[in-house]
Amino acid sequence: MVRSFKDIVRSSSIHVCIVNTGGCNGCDIEVVALLSPRYDLEQYGIYVHPNPREADVLLVTGAVAEQWRDKLQRIYAKVPEPKVVVAVGNCPLSGDVFNQEGCSVYAPVSDFIPVDAEIPGCPPRPSEIVEAILSVAPGAIAARGRQKQ
Amino acid sequence: MILPIGPLHPALKEPIRLKLKTRGEKVLDAEIDYGYVHRGIERIMRGKTWQKGIFLSERVCGICSYIHTQTFAETFEKIAGEEVPPRAQYLRVLTNELDRIQSHLIANSTYFKALEHETLFMNMLALREPVMDAIELLTGNRVNMGWNVVGGVKMDAKQSHLDSIMELLKGVESNYDRYVEMFEHGPLLGLRSKDVGKMSREDAIKGRAVGPIGRASGLKHDWREDHPTYRDNIDFNVVWRKEGDNFARTMNRFDEVKESIKIIKQVIENLPDGDIRKKIDIPSGYADWRNEAPRGEVTYMIETNGNLIQNVSIRTPSIMNIDACEKYMLKDVATVADAVATYTSCDPCIACTERVVILDEFGRKEDIHGIHNIKYDSLKQDSDVS
Repeated sequence: MVRSFKDIVRSSSIHVCIVNTGGCNGCDIEVVALLSPRYDLEQYGIYVHPNPREADVLLVTGAVAEQWRDKLQRIYAKVPEPKVVVAVGNCPLSGDVFNQEGCSVYAPVSDFIPVDAEIPGCPPRPSEIVEAILSVAPGAIAARGRQKQ
Repeated sequence: MILPIGPLHPALKEPIRLKLKTRGEKVLDAEIDYGYVHRGIERIMRGKTWQKGIFLSERVCGICSYIHTQTFAETFEKIAGEEVPPRAQYLRVLTNELDRIQSHLIANSTYFKALEHETLFMNMLALREPVMDAIELLTGNRVNMGWNVVGGVKMDAKQSHLDSIMELLKGVESNYDRYVEMFEHGPLLGLRSKDVGKMSREDAIKGRAVGPIGRASGLKHDWREDHPTYRDNIDFNVVWRKEGDNFARTMNRFDEVKESIKIIKQVIENLPDGDIRKKIDIPSGYADWRNEAPRGEVTYMIETNGNLIQNVSIRTPSIMNIDACEKYMLKDVATVADAVATYTSCDPCIACTERVVILDEFGRKEDIHGIHNIKYDSLKQDSDVS
């Protein structure tokens, strides 16, 4: 009973933790723009709070820089089950312009943690980010919750 | 006690590690660790043509991405010794000021978020969206515009676009004074920001503070005064203050937005007709160029052999401002919350900051083009191998 009630609540209340692993900051300010009254992220029940211990969704931006190679896995381990990882922008998918000879990035991010949704774009529009979170998060959280039972 | 904050922390927008030395609630000293966003842009840029390099320079920083491409392009124009057509110069000024407005508004909104003042945080973001619309109307993109090229700009602006931009800015202006008044005369906000994180003029000079942070401490220094287009054609005032606290820094950014709107109006009224781009043949050579980014002075030093970029060094304003913040502002702050607000008020942009600069502390004279740069020496050894 309690478990199923938690599932219902969680499917409409999503805590998002944003991790910048070494990008140009463009995707991060598009996530900040999502908080603005025009897009109003909280009307979908999404709350952005950079704390992995209470997050349901991990938004990863940026090509993985040297310092993040081990830290990213530790942050992923801190997120409680069920968890969803959304990669925002071209950097976590391919490394974008940084993934060239002489660089110090270790893209893609799927080498380090499993990725559920990918949003290409440099940077993607705010509406695309919110659409991706909403299309993947409630279903995945509900399905994984049931599996654990 | 040492209190570590970051690299992932609710108070910080970007990954950085703040170590606060505290006694009770009082912050005595601070230390900042960098290196979480280092991508090696300058190293990638070596050996590329400018057509590839300009995209890399745009991605140095996402918030002030425009000024990086402009400085990059103007450095190459200085090497060639040519000027772009007047219409392109005016369009560059127009986009630069729009970018400055959105950057200052998001900087102030994060400061209000650090003070937990949700109303002004939301209002600043609501004000920013019309400006982003104007940028999108002009360039086609919201953040990384891809609009500048060496020799001019890529797309022309129609008169209808300029009229819409004026309409959008009128909408911004009509609400603007109300929000500034909320901050300027708000008693609680005043208590949290006045006389917090003070930096005197001498400390600002020692800490090499630039931009709104230096200007709030009494350093009247703005590179727009020396830029040829601004100097010759545009009438504007340099906004500066004397107090040097969080209140002064935030008000300085608020006042600069007004100044930027004034500049945009002048540009749209006096926009000359003509070409927007001309072909420039680049000879081999070296040049450096400075511009006023939203956060202060940004410098590009580029050496080219006519085709490929041989050496590039980028000096961004944030590193100086964060350094000044660490050394002089975060001394004897009353509470940890005030320390976080002080750090946010200096408008840190970590993606800009992550450049590697090696300085020779022993004073060996290896001057290259008047600028002492040891990276150049290692480059010379590298180029023999590659």
